[in-house]
Amino acid sequence: MTETRIPRRRAGDRPPVITELLDEAVVQEIADQAWAALVGEEEVLVPLPGEVPADAVSSWVEVLGPWTGTVVLACGRRTAADLTRALLREHAPAELEDEDVADALGELANVVGGNVKAVLPGPSALGLPEAGTAPAPGAAADTCRVDLLWRGQPLTITVQGAALAPEHEN
Amino acid sequence: MTLTATGFDYVRRLVHRESAIVLAPGKEYLVEARLLPIARQLGMADVGRLVDEVRARPSAESTRRIVEALTTNETSWFRDGDPFTALTSTVLPALLPARGAAERLQIWSAACSSGQEPYTIAMLLQDALPNAATRVAITATDISREMVARTRAGRFSQLEVNRGLPAPMLVRHLTRAGTEWEVAPALRRMVSASECNLAAPLPRMGPFDVVYLRNVLIYFDLPTKQAILRRVRALMRPDGWLFLGAAETTLGVDDSWERVVIGRSSAYRPLKGA
Amino acid sequence: MRALVIDDSRAMRRIVSGTLEGLGYETRQAGHGQEALDVLHAGWVPELCSIDWNMPVMDGLQFVSAVRANPAWRAVTLMMVTSEGEQGQIVRALAAGAHEYVIKPFTADAIRDKLALLGLLPQEAAL
Repeated sequence: MTETRIPRRRAGDRPPVITELLDEAVVQEIADQAWAALVGEEEVLVPLPGEVPADAVSSWVEVLGPWTGTVVLACGRRTAADLTRALLREHAPAELEDEDVADALGELANVVGGNVKAVLPGPSALGLPEAGTAPAPGAAADTCRVDLLWRGQPLTITVQGAALAPEHEN
Repeated sequence: MTLTATGFDYVRRLVHRESAIVLAPGKEYLVEARLLPIARQLGMADVGRLVDEVRARPSAESTRRIVEALTTNETSWFRDGDPFTALTSTVLPALLPARGAAERLQIWSAACSSGQEPYTIAMLLQDALPNAATRVAITATDISREMVARTRAGRFSQLEVNRGLPAPMLVRHLTRAGTEWEVAPALRRMVSASECNLAAPLPRMGPFDVVYLRNVLIYFDLPTKQAILRRVRALMRPDGWLFLGAAETTLGVDDSWERVVIGRSSAYRPLKGA
Repeated sequence: MRALVIDDSRAMRRIVSGTLEGLGYETRQAGHGQEALDVLHAGWVPELCSIDWNMPVMDGLQFVSAVRANPAWRAVTLMMVTSEGEQGQIVRALAAGAHEYVIKPFTADAIRDKLALLGLLPQEAAL
């Protein structure tokens, strides 16, 4: 059983950075559950680094609250298509459109992001999933990233603070 | 290398010897799926290797892990909820007037797995009886050391609380603890968990007013079923109630029970003089 | 029995609809709360709505409040199916009038178990 470490916030008005709020084991556990339930009972995420191809596609959701940032899922195009088919199982269309892949990848980011939000101090709000070119990474100190292999294909999940990302427009 | 026929046969005999549970032919996929995590933890590529290793060098520890992996099954909370509704609708109203105010009701969850059943019972009683904490004691047992530890911890994953636990009860009786949910301390105090192999002579326990022995007998052969029912009966009060799984019955197994239909489910009560 | 599956993700709509159809439901889909209200107003009033929380135009919580505000839809069972997993969010949704709450990720078995609790498993799928 994984104990979730939620360290005390330090005094002062500095907002918390993500590494004070969760660690890689928590992100991995959340991803494991999402994969086991949605992608397939026998599907495992092996915590090994791999080179995400240059044609990587990303999806992400924004978390707005005491900690603000994004939860980003990134993988190669082929991995994204395979994930979409695994998610949809017998309901997958014969021909996958780009929109199907963006939608499926976005929903996975939404599920992982929602569960990440639930272990962070609240109240926080969750944005709608987006797909495309991921937001620029924030400061390393405000980033928690797990490198995974799914069916031997690399995939990363990054929980990154918004500190250095472009100003959020609303 | 996947599991060979000899490998499967070895596992089948081992599990039957240790737990009396029968793994029918055709359950190879189950053995593969359940043992793969153990093989991986031990740095082996597949289940075939693991079984070869255990056959060459049997140990109490590896035996225990294999038996545990194959004898636990996924549980949900109120799935097949009738035996639980029967507890508050029929069993409690019959038992409470028959017991003294200072007497604790003794309830046994005899194959508690990761704890969903004893905590379901605890939640129902907490909601039904104002002084449940002092009136009820729930004994939870399981053959698996790991499951007993999990029951004691009273912590459940997101996926587990999604399985058949009504949302109002989830928010009333559990609190979020990181990625998991934790049962309220008051409920945990009502439940004491220990290891117990139903296929062997039972420790001194009870006497029990209510026994939940659900989805256990289906795994055993007829002589073991009979022995288990005899031993359970010896630990029950004469006016006690036994609940079995929906697909199980004492009929044709042990004729010392009376079947009582409660709504859509059945309870079994010790026959007087049997 | 009929179910309206409301989610902005078409993948999730297909997964939930597929599960419900497997249990014997006739389903329709909506991409957000307003689209779902339009279906109800048009006279297709199902026994069950499966409702995501975060959606564009009208979110799931607003949809639940809108349905509960109309006595004609009193018989509709409302089940949230969302990645919002905080205890406080579940309490909010129940207070607004949702009957059940499934946290994403979920398995098909989780949906079936919840429907069993709600007494909404079509007869042939009850066992």
